[in-house]
Amino acid sequence: MANQIAGGVPSREDVAGQVSHHMRQFWTPEMLKDLSDIATNKPDCIGAEVHAALAAL
Amino acid sequence: MNMVQQFDPAQLDLSQDYGTPAMNSEVEVTVHIDGMPVTVPEGTSVMRAAAIAGANIPKLCATDNVEAFGSCRLCLVEIEGRNGTPASCTTPCQEGMSVKTQTTRLDKLRKGVMELYISDHPLDCLTCPANGDCELQDMAGAVGLRDVRYGTEGANHLAGAKDESNPYFTFDTSKCIVCSRCVRACSEVQGTFALTIAGRGFGSRVSPSEQQPFLESECVSCGACVQACPTATLQEKSVIELGVPSRKVKTTCAYCGVGCSFVAELRGDEVVRMVPDKQGGANAGHSCVKGRFAWGYAQHQDRITTPMVRDSIDAAWREVSWEEAIGFAADRFNAIKASHGVDAIGGITSSRCTNEEVYVVQKMVRAAFGTNNVDTCARVCHSPTGYGLKQTFGTSAGTQDFASVQHADVMMVIGANPTDAHPVFGSRMKRRLREGADLIVIDPRSIDLVRSPHVSAEHHLQLLPGTNVAVLNAVAHVIASEGLIDEAFVAERCDRVSFKAWEDFIRLPENSPETLEAVTGVPAATVRAAARAFATAGNGAIYYGLGVTEHSQGSTMVMAMANLAMATGNIGRLGVGVNPLRGQNNVQGSCDMGSFPHEFVGYRHVSDDTVREQFSQIWGVTLREDPGMRIPNMLDSAVSGRFKGLYIQGEDIAQSDPNTQHVAAALTAMDCVIVQDLFLNETAQFAHVFLPGTSFLEKDGTFTNAERRINRVRPVMTSRTGRSEWEATCALSEAMGYPMPYESAAEIMDEIAELTPTFAGVSFDLLDKLGSVQWPCNDQAPTGTPIMHKDRFVRGEGQFMTTPYVPTDERSTRKFPLLLTTGRILSQYNVGAQTRRTDNIVWHSEDLLDIHEADAEARGVKDGDWVEIASRAGETKMRVRISDDIPAGVVYTTFHHPVSGTNVITTDNSDWATNCPEYKVTAVQIRPVSEPALA
Repeated sequence: MANQIAGGVPSREDVAGQVSHHMRQFWTPEMLKDLSDIATNKPDCIGAEVHAALAAL
Repeated sequence: MNMVQQFDPAQLDLSQDYGTPAMNSEVEVTVHIDGMPVTVPEGTSVMRAAAIAGANIPKLCATDNVEAFGSCRLCLVEIEGRNGTPASCTTPCQEGMSVKTQTTRLDKLRKGVMELYISDHPLDCLTCPANGDCELQDMAGAVGLRDVRYGTEGANHLAGAKDESNPYFTFDTSKCIVCSRCVRACSEVQGTFALTIAGRGFGSRVSPSEQQPFLESECVSCGACVQACPTATLQEKSVIELGVPSRKVKTTCAYCGVGCSFVAELRGDEVVRMVPDKQGGANAGHSCVKGRFAWGYAQHQDRITTPMVRDSIDAAWREVSWEEAIGFAADRFNAIKASHGVDAIGGITSSRCTNEEVYVVQKMVRAAFGTNNVDTCARVCHSPTGYGLKQTFGTSAGTQDFASVQHADVMMVIGANPTDAHPVFGSRMKRRLREGADLIVIDPRSIDLVRSPHVSAEHHLQLLPGTNVAVLNAVAHVIASEGLIDEAFVAERCDRVSFKAWEDFIRLPENSPETLEAVTGVPAATVRAAARAFATAGNGAIYYGLGVTEHSQGSTMVMAMANLAMATGNIGRLGVGVNPLRGQNNVQGSCDMGSFPHEFVGYRHVSDDTVREQFSQIWGVTLREDPGMRIPNMLDSAVSGRFKGLYIQGEDIAQSDPNTQHVAAALTAMDCVIVQDLFLNETAQFAHVFLPGTSFLEKDGTFTNAERRINRVRPVMTSRTGRSEWEATCALSEAMGYPMPYESAAEIMDEIAELTPTFAGVSFDLLDKLGSVQWPCNDQAPTGTPIMHKDRFVRGEGQFMTTPYVPTDERSTRKFPLLLTTGRILSQYNVGAQTRRTDNIVWHSEDLLDIHEADAEARGVKDGDWVEIASRAGETKMRVRISDDIPAGVVYTTFHHPVSGTNVITTDNSDWATNCPEYKVTAVQIRPVSEPALA
């Protein structure tokens, strides 16, 4: 889902910023934690912009 | 004394029939009717001017929702300085005209006319179903008819046949006076042109299509002809059976997002018929087959009216008292909270329940449950509308009212089929198109609007499913590159930086129609012609439906449409706008009422400290600032064992949501599913508590339609369950420790108004006074807001958003070479829970798979054969219909029958921003199979 958001955000500038904003607006703390766990344990499953977005949160 | 009576539209009693339609001229003329001066808009008929003056001229063929015909010759008048006795309905007022409506000569002529009519009419008034409700009877009395000198030995029509084929009304030709009101209603109001007058002279008769029975004709059973008929020729079967109604209650339809106003006519507590309300803001006296006739489900034998509980979904249901059911539910939910935390439970609000009923459910979830895990069925339909319009314009709703379409010069209809899904609005569109407006249709299917009587699309962009954004980018590319942008509007009203970024993006060669033709399947020349047509028309209006939103780029597409409207200056006045055709009667209201997990009422984010504090103060509880789960998240979390309890108000997610297997697995995994509904639906199979709901005929509250119009829903009969739905919800909330002691639905609306700036002026009293009101309704707009963004956008300046096309992951492959898209038909409604329990079943007893002849032939499939449709999610079986409404490579079906299992094959692909499911694009394969055995 996070990868799809990164691919779908309107502007290709500051994709990570747009993704982190989106997740802050719409994601639950549990979902963010799940994504963080994936980022840690299966880093190749998520794109670079999503990693950057998580770091920005 | 000067007694000039000025025409003041505000003073008109809209329930009266003024004989001919109102005229809109700004020039006024003054005439004298029987010596009384009356001033009216130029072009007004003498009949209408007389009616305004209180001199009701007898009439039979005239009625004020269709153009004058001048056939009955009853409405004759004398005009000073003119020979003869012209028909008042076809004579326009002229300045200084002096009219007499009552003279000896006119009386004699009228009696003669009536005598002729009655000489060829059954004299069975005392046993006729229209006795007491018959205009022929009324006119005979009005003209003082005392004698019919003609015998019955000559030729007559008294032995005329009676057509009883339609399930809802009869056509008794023996009573027909050939006034042609029905023919004109079918053509002018409905726009179907199913009726005509066959024959000539004495042989003239009303003919459905080619003199066929109504059920076999092109009639769509809207009821406009029945409404128009002045006799018992076209008569509701319910009136024949039950008698003429004796009392009336105004309310609002519970089917689609048009939100037609109806007058429920009853005898005692029994509904006899639903008559469209002339004063209805959304429908102006028109209706469709569903609202007009298909209300019987409210008293269907399948209705559950007693609460039920069971310990597990394998056990049998037990009927219990309300107290026991509420206690059972509260105990289970409290136990889940204690064991798994507050976020292990949540709720889904209904798009068919009232604003007040929805409000208390989301309040219960936030205040009693202690979580923001609340969502609504808009998740699966128009959530991208909310997201996209909020980003660009600042508010999540359509920009116009329905009447605005009468001022459109070109309409762009994208991913919508209004003649089926929003029929009364579809009729309005067709009327404007017949007047000369142009039409652009962007749809994989040849919907009815592409070509139907007197209406056709100048441009049909028949794109491949899943390529909406590409097509609209191509349209916008043409407008930008050919210098067709409304620079003045953009400079004045829009954010300059975002516009520049968008313009640079849209001009890129990758967005040209020529580059995208191979992707979309739409010839570049067609795109260019459509783009120029839209940009150069005076007023361009965009209307769209779920063919836009139910895609992986649904939100992007909404933003693309908003960009297009801003770039062409088509915002902020009549005849333009971005208009979502919202499917359900209260999906707009459900969203307005804070049903989304991230927003309070009025679309304010839960993290907004000021707003949250205000709610906390009024609600008396601390509220969470983090967003809750959407429906797909709840289901995923249930499958993973973390989400355990769900309160489902008036939704059937086991049938309506995609990937049925996943939904079933999620529901099965939960410890407590509470369903509040009218019937034991598919979702109830997984429920532990069933709380019986109320139909719209039993509700007291409001619905908000697609044009933001808040309409009253009034109780027509007492609740069959013993309590209202909001009372049931409040009882559960109290049992869980959070009382909500409302005394009435009006009190709930008062609280909504207190908390919501856009609703601040709304109250039941205001709605009773005005009929309806479009939000925002507050001090700045005390009577509501028909057109939004007039001088500025809600967010200030309009925001352009770049919309790069990202192909969906759901593509045709060798294994699944066809693309399935889904939709609705006129006679059925959504999952069919209501309409399948009415006589509408006669028009659609099963869902069929529409397939192009070439695709069928390639698979050895003939019309009517059974096929298996398989996708990567699952498979189901249906019968096939060969159709040329869809191109080769695309198949289409509806989802009104659960046995079809349409959502067994739809996938969990969804919109990137809102998780709205991508129902409109599923890669499938078809193969012939034998007819399945009955279960």
